[in-house]
Amino acid sequence: MKGVVLAGGTGSRLRPITHTGPKQLVPVANKPVIEYAIDDLVEAGITEIGVVLGNKGRQEIQNYLGDGSDFGVEITYIVQGEPLGLAHAVGCAKDFVGDDSFVVYLGDDLMREGIVEFVDDFDPDEYAAGIGLQQVDEPERYGIVEVEDPPESGEGGEAVDTADVGDVVGLVEKPDDPPSDLALIGIYVFTPAIFEQIERLEPSWRGELEITEAIQGLIDDGDRIQSHVVHGWWKDTGKPEDVIHANRLVLDDIAGDVRGTVEDGATVTGRLDLGEGSTIESGATVRGPVSIGRNTTIEAGTYVGPYTSIGDDCAIGEVHIESSVVIGESTIRCDRRIVDSVIGRHATIRTNTDKQPTGERLVIGRNSSLEL
Amino acid sequence: MRIVTYTCPDCGTVVAGNVLERNRTLKCPGLGCETVLRFSDLPAEDREHVLSNLETYRME
Repeated sequence: MKGVVLAGGTGSRLRPITHTGPKQLVPVANKPVIEYAIDDLVEAGITEIGVVLGNKGRQEIQNYLGDGSDFGVEITYIVQGEPLGLAHAVGCAKDFVGDDSFVVYLGDDLMREGIVEFVDDFDPDEYAAGIGLQQVDEPERYGIVEVEDPPESGEGGEAVDTADVGDVVGLVEKPDDPPSDLALIGIYVFTPAIFEQIERLEPSWRGELEITEAIQGLIDDGDRIQSHVVHGWWKDTGKPEDVIHANRLVLDDIAGDVRGTVEDGATVTGRLDLGEGSTIESGATVRGPVSIGRNTTIEAGTYVGPYTSIGDDCAIGEVHIESSVVIGESTIRCDRRIVDSVIGRHATIRTNTDKQPTGERLVIGRNSSLEL
Repeated sequence: MRIVTYTCPDCGTVVAGNVLERNRTLKCPGLGCETVLRFSDLPAEDREHVLSNLETYRME
């Protein structure tokens, strides 16, 4: 089986972060989100991976992933160009896929349980496709499937056994009257039968080739579509608050790995990942779970609170920062509290109390968002 | 919609036909590949298909 990771799109909802890089390289717990997709595919035994690239961030993604050898995989790049929809992206992978079944994984998604069970359960002799699903609280906001045996509403959103819901028999996008609360999560397994359906598609109202229509075509032709309800969390990292939430979910599971220096006199509680060359100085406080990259200094008088990730080559001083993502190569030295924030590369935040007149001094780019 | 692609004969990178049409001549986007790809490398039937469906293949 092969893997196809979709890494196109504009990342418009993550601006200004994505003005200078693709959304798939935005880090969650100091690891680019696309790497979680690669890891899940490798765990499922898939090492031939096609990465579909758009017009944005193409070089950066290639520079990061290379030929895949650093990740134990073999990567073929597939340049889609314009964002013409998921079905177009999948269709561009036809020659790469050949006669194999293949997993399609959205490159800005991540999920707790991986895809091993999903892949192992898929039988291409029985099904034309499989769809990853999850119960959601507001099905009107998602692509929703109709299944043979819809689950009854559970309490507290507990997981539903796959065997309870049967095959997928229909799909509908953001329905006013949802046939179920099972949403598409951007993980699919396809046989080459999907390509014939993609060829039949016409662009939707938004000018895109919709994968849901291609899957509906399989259903209309009498093919079986397997449902796979995932347990554990799943996250699309399309918006800053999603990045912060995903960061929290991943950090909840870290074991702690200290490779840098924690000086005597530093206070560290909870789990900490600390990269090589990084230092937590005496007089600094870190309350985990926290991830700190390489060659970063947490200076005396700083508080780094739970669910914070700070990338490589940063200098962090005086500040109280928690539940935030600092991507890297930034300097933050200010006697302020920073919470629930995403800070991009090469950012500088510093105290200005020695300047007159007093006031906030800001250099803000397009699509920036500040809450003061 | 038929999707046209071209595979670089040197590095195996796949390029969508709409990309070749927009650029007409481009250096292969594959890592470290120096091959020049051209819209004219596509078979005539594929070129005709892309040109006949330009509105579909472009997001302006």
